[in-house]
Amino acid sequence: MYKFTFSLFRAFFILLIVGWGCFSRGYAQQANVVTGVVTTKDDGLPLPGVTVTIKNTQTGMATDGNGKFSIKAPIGSILLFNAVGYSSFEANVTGPVLNVVLEPKPSNLNEVVVIGYGTVKKKDLTGAIANIKGSDIKSQGVSDITKALQGKLPGVTIESAGGNPGSGTRILIRGVGTLGNADPLYIVDGVQVANINNLSQNEIQSIDILKDASAAAIYGSRAANGVVLVTTKSGKSGQTVIQADANYGVQQIAHKVSVLNAEQWATVSNAAHDAAGLARLDIAATPSSLGAGTNWQDAIYKAAPIQQYDLLVSGGNQSGNYSISGSYDNQDGIVKVTGYNRYNLRAKSETSKGPFKIGETIILTREKTISMPGGWGGQGGDPVGSAAKMIPVFQIYDPTALGGYAGATGPVVNVANPVAQLNLEDINRISSNVLANVYGQATLLPGLTYKLNFGYTSNFGTNTDYYKRYVVGTLFTHPTNDISISKDQNDLLLVENTLNYIKTFGKHSLQALAGYTYQKSNYTYLLSARTDLPDGLQNIDAGAGTSTTSGNSIESTLVSSLARIIYSYDNRYLLTASIRRDGSSRFGASNKYGNFPSIALGWNLSNEKFFEPAKNILSTFKLRASYGVLGNQEIGDYQYSAAVASNINYVTGTSQQKWFGAIQTSFADPNIKWESTQTTNVGFDAGLIQDKLNITADYFVKITDDVLLNVPIPGSAGSTSNPVVNAGKLRNNGIEIGASYSDQAGKLKYTVFGTFSAVKNKVLALGTGTQQIFGGQPTHHGASSTLTEAGGPITGFYLIKDIGIFQSQAEINAYKDKNGNPIQPNAQPGDIKYLDANGDGQINAQDKVYMGSPFPNFEYGFGFNASLYNFDINAFFQGTQGNKIYNGLRQDLESMSLEFNYSTTTLNAWTPTHTNTTVPRAVSNDPNFNDQTSSRFLEDGSYLRMKTLQVGYTIQDNLKRRLKISSLRLYVSADNVFTITKYTGFNADIGRTGSIFDRGVDFGHVAYPLARTVSVGLQLGL
Amino acid sequence: MKKIILFLFTVLAITSCKKSVLNEVNPNQITTATFWNKEADVQSALAATYGLLRDVNGGYWGVRGIELSNGRGDDFFIRNDVADLYRLSTFTNTPDNGPINDLWNTSYRAIFRANQILENVGKVPGLSDQLKAAYTSEAKFLRGLNYFILVTNFGAVPLHLKVPVSKDDYFMAKSPEAEVWKQTIQDFTDAAANLPLSYPAQFVGRATRGAAIAFLGKAQLYTKDYAGAETTLKQLTASPFNYSLMPNYGDNFIAAKKNNAESVFEIQLADVGGTNPWAGENASEAIGVTTAQEFAPAEVAGWFEVSPTDKLFNEFKKEQTTTNDFDPRMYATLIWDYPGATFYNKPFSGFKLLFGYSSMFKKYQNYTQDGEITGASGASDYTSSNNERALRFADILLLLGEALTMENKTTEAFPYVKQIRDRAQLPAIAIPASQDFMMAEIRHQRMIEFARENQRFYDLKRWGLLQQELTNSDKVGKQFYVPGKHDYWPIPQSEINANSKMVQNTNW
Repeated sequence: MYKFTFSLFRAFFILLIVGWGCFSRGYAQQANVVTGVVTTKDDGLPLPGVTVTIKNTQTGMATDGNGKFSIKAPIGSILLFNAVGYSSFEANVTGPVLNVVLEPKPSNLNEVVVIGYGTVKKKDLTGAIANIKGSDIKSQGVSDITKALQGKLPGVTIESAGGNPGSGTRILIRGVGTLGNADPLYIVDGVQVANINNLSQNEIQSIDILKDASAAAIYGSRAANGVVLVTTKSGKSGQTVIQADANYGVQQIAHKVSVLNAEQWATVSNAAHDAAGLARLDIAATPSSLGAGTNWQDAIYKAAPIQQYDLLVSGGNQSGNYSISGSYDNQDGIVKVTGYNRYNLRAKSETSKGPFKIGETIILTREKTISMPGGWGGQGGDPVGSAAKMIPVFQIYDPTALGGYAGATGPVVNVANPVAQLNLEDINRISSNVLANVYGQATLLPGLTYKLNFGYTSNFGTNTDYYKRYVVGTLFTHPTNDISISKDQNDLLLVENTLNYIKTFGKHSLQALAGYTYQKSNYTYLLSARTDLPDGLQNIDAGAGTSTTSGNSIESTLVSSLARIIYSYDNRYLLTASIRRDGSSRFGASNKYGNFPSIALGWNLSNEKFFEPAKNILSTFKLRASYGVLGNQEIGDYQYSAAVASNINYVTGTSQQKWFGAIQTSFADPNIKWESTQTTNVGFDAGLIQDKLNITADYFVKITDDVLLNVPIPGSAGSTSNPVVNAGKLRNNGIEIGASYSDQAGKLKYTVFGTFSAVKNKVLALGTGTQQIFGGQPTHHGASSTLTEAGGPITGFYLIKDIGIFQSQAEINAYKDKNGNPIQPNAQPGDIKYLDANGDGQINAQDKVYMGSPFPNFEYGFGFNASLYNFDINAFFQGTQGNKIYNGLRQDLESMSLEFNYSTTTLNAWTPTHTNTTVPRAVSNDPNFNDQTSSRFLEDGSYLRMKTLQVGYTIQDNLKRRLKISSLRLYVSADNVFTITKYTGFNADIGRTGSIFDRGVDFGHVAYPLARTVSVGLQLGL
Repeated sequence: MKKIILFLFTVLAITSCKKSVLNEVNPNQITTATFWNKEADVQSALAATYGLLRDVNGGYWGVRGIELSNGRGDDFFIRNDVADLYRLSTFTNTPDNGPINDLWNTSYRAIFRANQILENVGKVPGLSDQLKAAYTSEAKFLRGLNYFILVTNFGAVPLHLKVPVSKDDYFMAKSPEAEVWKQTIQDFTDAAANLPLSYPAQFVGRATRGAAIAFLGKAQLYTKDYAGAETTLKQLTASPFNYSLMPNYGDNFIAAKKNNAESVFEIQLADVGGTNPWAGENASEAIGVTTAQEFAPAEVAGWFEVSPTDKLFNEFKKEQTTTNDFDPRMYATLIWDYPGATFYNKPFSGFKLLFGYSSMFKKYQNYTQDGEITGASGASDYTSSNNERALRFADILLLLGEALTMENKTTEAFPYVKQIRDRAQLPAIAIPASQDFMMAEIRHQRMIEFARENQRFYDLKRWGLLQQELTNSDKVGKQFYVPGKHDYWPIPQSEINANSKMVQNTNW
């Protein structure tokens, strides 16, 4: 590795020498000499490399490393100043001295990009970073900003994580780099946080996502899955801004699953029982008398309001600035009862005096999430799953029953009344978050600054689960009111010492960083529960029944030293090198430390003389290459030691008292160590047609070694859980492209933009017994649907293949193995024919074949922003292509084998007189396993979604003056406008959280459907 | 450039820190390094091993275990609610069946724990040799019992006799069925050597020497070592043992008569833990079983998951008592609509039979309560405190009778069988003349004596009568029974998936 680094250095040297030869030509004339310094307006620093020419002549030169120039030019002539990224400037020569200040061009190459422990101008950037400004996040009607980022950042996959309001998203950067926790590291104003779901859209200045090793390696151990850096808004010198925003919208379910009504259900149920020779259900006796029955889905969904209000005040002067904002969000869920609200308060300021600078960010949030129950021990799952499966013959309410709800009765599957579930159990979480970051900075020598940064976050949450007493049908009874309250607290303390040195000498510019950081996190948990509370009281003390308590705590520490050098020569050659050494408490004594180096090179070709002829078309062009090693330690704490689990109790004695039990229940590997990811990245940034068209493209290869994973060990080993070990090796490689085109045609200003990402993954090795990991159980009782094995993709779908329907007994008899025995002896006409892939004459798990991947071939997003006169319009589309989804809910709903409601597709079931169908016959016992996990339920998961459409109107200047306001915009916005997909489940963006091995499996029990939102809003500046 | 590298490494060198900062000790649990240093640790380890026997998911005497072991019998029906249960009871299950997987895993968890005790009890300071021997015997009993469960249900299985040390130890191939039986018998033999005859009041319910001898004899009978079984089991009919049949058969299945004179080994259940039976192994877990709740009729908010078949119902009616009544065991085992029948303090006429069968199970139901949801603690925790009698003295008598009959000692066998008949107030009969008649009587008695007690399917398998008796029954799914295949459960698919050395059982 280091050898490789050095050879890169050598290559850089050669480039340097070659480059030197290219620019050391110049012009010299002896006449009236004008000298001066060119500085920049943004930071006041001298600007080297500015071309200074006398207008209408060939005479010219470039400023030196200190921005100085000296040129022979007659008085009265005009000097032209040109520099990449700056507006051209013309100045009359009036004397021997001429100092010029150049204004940065509003080009994205001049934007400052936030990198770890600092910022860098986009032109000096060598790493792969995706970034978005807060003002470009246009989605409304979502309480979670990350949802609004979907499709907007190349290489960044954002998926919903459950759909419950407040449930957040799952972000994957450059595919799945590990088999465990693949979440990126989130940093808000320099402080690590667990997620950014609690931030308000309007307080965000920018989000920068560090994707490759060069950009992320400074975060070393925690960066392998990428780093999301959020910068909140700062005040600006000179302008006091008061901005108030309001948004109100209504959400509606975008897509329900289509299930039978009462009469239809009874007809299918009777057919299924008849086919199996079993007695019909009493409740289905006379289908025609049942009518439509209860529409359970209509009973739980509603049109739900969402509202957001923000107020921001900011301002500043030469010595300081401030920004204060507050917001209130309230979102009802489209599933009744569920909801989310949040209060945010944020203050950020920076003050400087002499060599000192101090500043802070403080963010306070309080969130309340009301979730739906996960299930009542029955088989419906959460209310969304129950509403699909609940038999429509049953009623919703029964005023005579305890609790007031009716439910399932008789020999049917125990699916709970979803309306009762929602109303008889109150589950909520109130969480208060503090993020505080304070820093002091001192300039010790010119260019050398020392910064001491204290970060602190505290998240204090209270979960309450109040369970009312009820009798719901005959299958669900709970005679007492019970309550369970748990409190959790997560504190993180961060201390960072950094030294920063910035120096420009000649054409060299150097930025060096060294630092030492210490980070400690504490987690504590306490639960108390009591049964038998009087009606109406919801406190532990009121309970007369059994008490339960539990509590635990976790601590972890990370210490790191880090260093980085960013060097550029003549704005042409760029070098970034960094190293971080991390020590983590999560590993055993011999494996605590890991080293994570990186190096990156950049070449601004467009600043080369030889590039001049091409500049008409290609105005800016930069090549980048990087290599580095990143780490991952995202496993639980204390995993390296075998713990003795306690409270595994039994009963003993004549008085039958509790007998306290304790023993080691699982294995631990004491030798676990850092997972490491080597990333190689090459890319370019190009600006075409005067930078109207900007393209950034990257190709990367990511190889993850020593993957930390709970390796499945056989049940016969006797462990209750799978031990964490370093197992396996993965490779991800892919390309990602972001492009935007901005122009103006008359009064019409517009930007068209798009992103494209394609990632391929492959498992190179798996350190498990069979080299196979199965996952993705799609229903309560189905077999696994995915397989991850060496040589294959991560979580490929391996399924028994459905190859049609047996139309006759003759076809069944003809489907024989080599010995002439029928392969599916229990089949009857109308049953599914399965492929005997291994030819052993049986249909079983050994017949699974690869049927596709849950990962798309590519993901994309595109959209446009346009404004004409006072109107503006924004539209954004996003989608995936080529991924498969296993529809677990459909597997249940099309089974016709168990006693719950079925999909309307079952009306199309095979019968001797209706043979042209893909739905097998209705049969209760289903001895042919038509409803087993098979390719029958695998669907194309590709989708194209119109994510956002927003039309705005900004009021005219004269009206603004009359109203004494500085700006006012009104808009109408629609989110999730439409989706084009073949997928039949609730939402092609399925939002299942949990294990990576369950990817692409839509488990109907935990679904939350997608909402379509229409909202109106105003943005007022005072 | 070298300077840059130098700079980077100098920074690292300066800022290297002390290691002690990074030593975080788990504040919630002790580790194996500090366990096994006192007698209480050994006892806790035993409790954690016993506890798995009633585990709600995979415990052989938990609700799923009861359904797994009885579900395939010609006397038993499981309704089409939990698909995996319905399928295993109708011979349509596949190797990925959840409850079968749980039974496998839970049995091996218990074996892992028993092995830990065996390997560590010797290290515990201050423990007398006598105590060490007793604890070793107790751990061997538990290991043997779990191998007994595995071998009767799965046949050939891996023999884990040590705690895995390295990763390679996790992956073990099957030993032949005969080897597993040999180990099972060895463990019970070793257990019988040093287990106490009884325990002080505080520990009543733990495995005794009698329990070890009883299971040893049963294992010998299952492996057709009739002479061995005779010798072994006969010990239990004489001093120092004083087992006897409870005069009232029904007392064996009610919570009020736990650990009675007939009980040889009993799974201890009481609602003295947490309030959630599905909480997993922690303080919140209720430490009874949910079986009574899951089997109770809908009218008392039960889930009516199972039903006796009419074959069983009719088997009880074959003989009446000396007072021309039904067999008292019928009244204790089943509830049906006879005059004056009450169930859960209500007339039975108010209950609806849902599956076309004539009766419901009464055995082990807490039918003197109003329902099963509220446990003895008063919490709505679905918990029954009614101990599962894993091995009753009645079983000893009939096993002994069977061993003797198989040795063609029908005359010697008869008194044991007669004790069973007498307790049931059945009329006196002559000693059956032939071995066949004697076995027929034993088969009949076993069917009605042990209904719902994890015996019928294994008895039929042992006697080679599965095909015949299933065919000759009103069992749902009997047409899907494949001889040989369904005599064993399949090796769970997840075991095959994770263990490259594992092969599936024949026909699966």
